[in-house]
Amino acid sequence: MTPDVQPTVTRPTTVGRFVLRTLGYLPVTFFVWYFAAPVLLYPAVLIVRAIAKLALPDIVRSVEQARATLTFITALRPSGAAAGSVLTVDVDLLIYAYGLPLFAALTLAARERAWKRQLAIGYAALLPCIALPALADFLKSVAITAGPAVASQTGFVAWQREAIAFAFQFGSLIVPAVAPAVLWVALHGRFLAELRHRAGASP
Amino acid sequence: MPRFLTVFVLLLALAFGLELTPWAQAFVVTPWTDTVARVSGALMRTFDASITTSGNVIGSNASPFAVAIEAGCNGVEATLVLVAAMLAFPAPWPHRLAGIGVGVATVQVLNVIRVVTLFYLGQWNEHAFEWAHLYVWQALIMLDVLIVWVIWVKMAQSDTAPGSPRAAAA
Repeated sequence: MTPDVQPTVTRPTTVGRFVLRTLGYLPVTFFVWYFAAPVLLYPAVLIVRAIAKLALPDIVRSVEQARATLTFITALRPSGAAAGSVLTVDVDLLIYAYGLPLFAALTLAARERAWKRQLAIGYAALLPCIALPALADFLKSVAITAGPAVASQTGFVAWQREAIAFAFQFGSLIVPAVAPAVLWVALHGRFLAELRHRAGASP
Repeated sequence: MPRFLTVFVLLLALAFGLELTPWAQAFVVTPWTDTVARVSGALMRTFDASITTSGNVIGSNASPFAVAIEAGCNGVEATLVLVAAMLAFPAPWPHRLAGIGVGVATVQVLNVIRVVTLFYLGQWNEHAFEWAHLYVWQALIMLDVLIVWVIWVKMAQSDTAPGSPRAAAA
């Protein structure tokens, strides 16, 4: 008696199919990311709060979250403002968080068995990559953009302002884009090896 | 993989630090950015005669809307990422150089498409422009870099596989 079992035929993944799947997932992951941002980004806000409390207690009084916008309430007085008024700085977290939907789309498109674990690890690893650039953005605002009257209250010396400027540039131009790709490559070594070694397959 | 990632991150940080120097800004980044604006403007003029360019700014005689191509939109950072990834991955130098040449061209072509689409998107809807500018195109450019790198790695392995003409010549 012949067992009534048909062999499973799966189409081998090529780079082209992988790209198409990623492009198909991107609108979905962007949609979820945008509307779930207040929840998804809350752990990043906690990281920002913790660092601000530990490293900047004289500058930051509190950090508030409204949807995906962080508001830093500082202990600094705005230039030319009346006594008692304080400077607040808004930072849009989404600018630093678009790597989340990209990472999710890449992970879903790879169709690995451990995709849920990979998503969870990637999400956790990307949170500092969102929090730190957001902090650098805030520091750039108070130490450089707000002008000398505010910058002098922060107590940062010249080399620290240079470091803040570099951290802001690196954190806004490189980290949000590169972090998801690096993480995805690091977590999908087997998938990448499979793609590379597929004999005779077209890209 | 750990070695590749370490070398990649170090090369990228070094290249990005060099990019921020006044010398690199004056002699590489600014001319590059102006060229991106000129090429994008020339492309748009093939179907829209109202397009004007001045330095890094693309405008239109038919609309008050204009875009300035700034850091992050000129494709320089994406290029640095791709070059660092190709230098960090073990491959023969001819393959590396060919990959850098073709890869950089690919990134720049997509970047010009980004500039053109953003220009017209901005004339149509400011909210859509912001979304595409700040989130969607950033992700697409990095996806492009990643895919170019994956294809390049795949071809590097084909070239060095036993039996390939290059492996036989090596």
